[in-house]
Amino acid sequence: MPTLTINGTEVTVDAGKSVLQACEQAGVDVPRFCYHERLSIAGNCRMCLVEMERSPKPIASCAMPAGDGMVIHTDTELVKKSREGVMEFMLLNHPLDCPICDQGGECELQDQSVAFGSGDGRFSENKRAVEDKNMGPLVATTMTRCIHCMRCIRFSDEIAGVEIMGAIGRGDHTEVVTYLDGLLDTELSGNVIDLCPVGALTSKPYAFTARSWELKRHPSIDVMDAVGSNIEVDTRDGAVMRVLPRLHEDINEEWISDKTRFAYDGLKKRRLDRPYVRKAGKFEEATWGEAFAAIKTGLKGAKGNEIAALVGDTADMESMFALKGLMNSLGSQRIEARQDGAALDAKIRASYLMNTGIKGIEDADYLLLIGCNPRSEAVMVNARIRKGTVKNGLKVGRIGAVADLTYTVEDFGDDASLVKAAKGGRHEISKALKAASKPMIIVGQAALAREDGAAILKMAHDLADKYCISEGWNGFNILHTAASRVGALDLGLTTEEGIKGLLKSAKTGDVKAMFLLGADEFDSSTLADTFTVYMGTHGDEGVKHADVILPGVTYTEKAGTYINTEGRVQQAEKASVAPGDAREDWTILRALSDIVGETLPYNTLSELRIALNEAVPETATLDTLPEADWSDFGTDGDIAKTPIVPIGGNFYQTNPIARASDVMAECVSVREGATEEATGTNG
Amino acid sequence: MSSLVASAKSLLLLEFMSAFWLSIKYMVAPKVTINYPYEKGPISPRFRGEHALRRYANGEERCIACKLCEAICPAQAITIEAEPRDDGSRRTTRYDIDMTKCIYCGFCQEACPVDAIVEGPNFEFATETRAELMYDKNKLLANGERWEREIAMNIAADAQYR
Amino acid sequence: MVEAFFEWFPTTWLGMFFGVEQTALFYFIAIVAMILVIVLPLLIAVAFTVYFDRKIWAAVQMRRGPNVVGPFGLLQSFADGIKLFLKETIIPSGANKVIFLLAPMITFTLALIAWAVIPFGEGMAVANLNVGVLYILAISSLGVYGIIMSGWASNSRYAFLGSLRSAAQMVSYEVSIGFVLVCVLMAVGSLNLSDIVVAQQGSILNWYIWPFLPIYVIFFISTLAETNRPPFDLPEAEAELVAGYQVEYSSMAFALFFLGEYANILLMSAVMAILFLGGWYAPLEALDFIPGWIWLLAKTAFGFWMISMVKAFVPRYRYDQLMRLGWKVFLPISLFLVIFYAGVMMYAGWLPK
Repeated sequence: MPTLTINGTEVTVDAGKSVLQACEQAGVDVPRFCYHERLSIAGNCRMCLVEMERSPKPIASCAMPAGDGMVIHTDTELVKKSREGVMEFMLLNHPLDCPICDQGGECELQDQSVAFGSGDGRFSENKRAVEDKNMGPLVATTMTRCIHCMRCIRFSDEIAGVEIMGAIGRGDHTEVVTYLDGLLDTELSGNVIDLCPVGALTSKPYAFTARSWELKRHPSIDVMDAVGSNIEVDTRDGAVMRVLPRLHEDINEEWISDKTRFAYDGLKKRRLDRPYVRKAGKFEEATWGEAFAAIKTGLKGAKGNEIAALVGDTADMESMFALKGLMNSLGSQRIEARQDGAALDAKIRASYLMNTGIKGIEDADYLLLIGCNPRSEAVMVNARIRKGTVKNGLKVGRIGAVADLTYTVEDFGDDASLVKAAKGGRHEISKALKAASKPMIIVGQAALAREDGAAILKMAHDLADKYCISEGWNGFNILHTAASRVGALDLGLTTEEGIKGLLKSAKTGDVKAMFLLGADEFDSSTLADTFTVYMGTHGDEGVKHADVILPGVTYTEKAGTYINTEGRVQQAEKASVAPGDAREDWTILRALSDIVGETLPYNTLSELRIALNEAVPETATLDTLPEADWSDFGTDGDIAKTPIVPIGGNFYQTNPIARASDVMAECVSVREGATEEATGTNG
Repeated sequence: MSSLVASAKSLLLLEFMSAFWLSIKYMVAPKVTINYPYEKGPISPRFRGEHALRRYANGEERCIACKLCEAICPAQAITIEAEPRDDGSRRTTRYDIDMTKCIYCGFCQEACPVDAIVEGPNFEFATETRAELMYDKNKLLANGERWEREIAMNIAADAQYR
Repeated sequence: MVEAFFEWFPTTWLGMFFGVEQTALFYFIAIVAMILVIVLPLLIAVAFTVYFDRKIWAAVQMRRGPNVVGPFGLLQSFADGIKLFLKETIIPSGANKVIFLLAPMITFTLALIAWAVIPFGEGMAVANLNVGVLYILAISSLGVYGIIMSGWASNSRYAFLGSLRSAAQMVSYEVSIGFVLVCVLMAVGSLNLSDIVVAQQGSILNWYIWPFLPIYVIFFISTLAETNRPPFDLPEAEAELVAGYQVEYSSMAFALFFLGEYANILLMSAVMAILFLGGWYAPLEALDFIPGWIWLLAKTAFGFWMISMVKAFVPRYRYDQLMRLGWKVFLPISLFLVIFYAGVMMYAGWLPK
């Protein structure tokens, strides 16, 4: 615990901290470009120079470990002069094209040159120019602006785990490049835009469309996966201009995935902006009144459980709760949220949560992945696992299909029956689990969506019970892929028959009417003869056989409550304006309940939330990792000796918003193009 | 006594008469105003009149959609939308000035890094309808073409004081 | 004049051609024609009066005034008139519609009908009333109604306050105008305007302005107040009441007010010329060859020029000062002057027989 003096104040810091961190702790601001607290220390920008007594020259505070008895000054003439000098060097080759730079207004170089620069330069020769690099459809490059802080290189190496960026050349000829000018092939590539302190790396979809000072910032929650990343939705005139990460140490730190960041253009495309009613096989534009009347007519023949509902992957708690209220008042209990058919049990909360928590991964020392690919299903969880492997020596084993997860994984095969073997005690998995002090298992939806999913769940439970449960440690984790899933299970939106049974009943006529709340991840052709009402945002799978379409709103257009895979309850603000006649889903359901004569007992969002809190007490506590009681769940049964088939399709197109997004489509085509190029057909 | 003199003065309207005489003198004095529509006063190179968007000599628009004018405009009269042009350069797709909001403070031309938006020497742009005062990019560029010679001269004349 | 015309016209070849007899229809048509002969030039004169008012005002302030429309800007008033004519008549939602529209009509009509008794020359009056002076007093008193009605019907506090001020002001100054007239009447011995002019026959020395100079001054100042001209334009004081009783008016309704106001100013100038400046007589008998109506016009123009000049150099009165001037200064002085002139005339035996 070294104690040092900073500007006359004594401060004691943890051993191993740098002088810069000590300065921060003392409340002294030190300018920096290359230093980033989540990245390794590079010490190449020299902006953090401070004066240390008995040192012949100023020291780079980020790279100097704090030592006992150091006397640091940050407000002397020497420090000022060295900052001005460093800034002048920094600006030698910086083009000063701030007016056309998207970073303008939120640029660290701008801010710091105003704060610490001398306001004058002595360089009169020609500035250097660097050719721009191609980093794919997401990251725009203007490499002339680069100040060589190397944050992007360290990020891709350390956090993203793809060793694809680097610097070539020396001195004046230094260039930051991707390997062979290739694609920045990681789902976290967008984060280099945030990291870049200048405008060298900027967002391509956002290019030139807005300025930081024009934007209104709205805290929100991501629904692209079940992680519930904290995001900031920036809007101008009610339209989403970009999505940025919001710091949340327990979930996404300060990163988000590319799908979260760039799928927002899908919010404006293929939107359902007014009600439609199918007449003689064709959709006709309708008013809300006409649509409601059509629903009332369509529901006439259906009694009680002949009406069913399917809940989509991006629904918020409020709309699911309103749907449940409406269905129950119509006398139906048939609401199903598990579109992938996973054998999840809604009765015991611990059975469908990520009990360890995302941050808990950092503490674990052994991790067994069962039928899940966190890199495509939950990017932020994967980043956390990688952090665990790098920082804490976490070992990862896998039962399931082989895929590159950016860290070393010990593969045991993809046979589902290995779970049973692991429980046995003689398999090497069992030995690894037994040897670990904090082991954890993550069960993916691919394992649970099998016919024998319930048996696998039971076996996973037994496995966890045997190895992963100890005092203060619950190593049993379910990794969900849908943002709505945990909330839906909390509301008990499950049926005995599951989605397959429901669709079969629709075919046989047992289900006469079907409500789809943004449900698009199933084959809707079975609903061809059923009266189907689609409430959603995009013209996707769900509308294909719908009879009435009610336009809802997306996650940025409503204030919603979401429960992530950990069971953490989070609320998002309304950020943007819904297109056309679209309305918030719960208000649609509330209005519809009036029409069918079963009025729901709430008129405002706050009334709805009070009712929701009563029905699901967990929703009352915001943003805490719940501690679910551990008990028995799952059903005993045989586990087939067949491979676990990965689910989820393409990472960039897992939901209607992402499928409507041109940027996401380009991400896909670029990757397909890359393989084509490898075959040499592209020249 | 003085009050007597004062009331006598006021009763005899002496002040009134002298004022009348003075008015008559001024009435026949030469006019100090110019005969406006036929003659105009000199205008400073810094005169802030009607707005114009300029082009470079090669015909390229100067405006790069940096939105600094929009940001500084105290009346929030400027609206800009931008996107990458086909050649990848940053250009406006929309540049509107609401001339009914504008207060002619000149901040926009001060803020402009490329001398694209300027307030030219023209002050005779009255319109018959309000809608005509909602200037769009075409109108502003047309103004720029029309007044380019004067604007360039004014900028050159003022350059040494900047 | 009228009678003479009626007797003369049927004897002309045109009259014979039409075979006009002295029928009721003939009288009607003739009277309407005569009214038009007075009113049309009057309205044109009003238009130019507005122009000259602006020109004089501008000249004193060393400006140019209207100079664009027509030669020297002479058509400015017509341009303004056309503009007003083309504008929308806005009727406030809370206004009493009938009275609101009636008020400008009344003001305008009253300003015109007073001209019936003005003699433009020997026997050249539409109606040679023997109580012409009383007629003028009566008509100008009625003018208050137009203003009161507009102020009340507008349903606006500015208009209402303006009209109240105007009414009080006009009533106050009519008292002193009345005494002024009494002085002149005592000297003439007739209420007929033609007689008043005839009484001043001769050169400029015979005009009443010399014996009645103090009276003339009081009349002139009261005229300013009576016509709501500066410095007594309080009813429409911009700084306090926006535009007084006219505030809710637009388009032709406003134009009628405006025309009426200037017609009134011209009327008072003409009355001033008749009472004090010898009416249609030339200042020197040698100049009698010039028609009388031109002299009257010139004298009226002079009166108007005075009124216009006053606007240019006198600041506006405060309302209490205005009232004080009317009741505490002009009323006692004019009362005293009536007694004084009566006494002098009685003593000297100058009273008309």
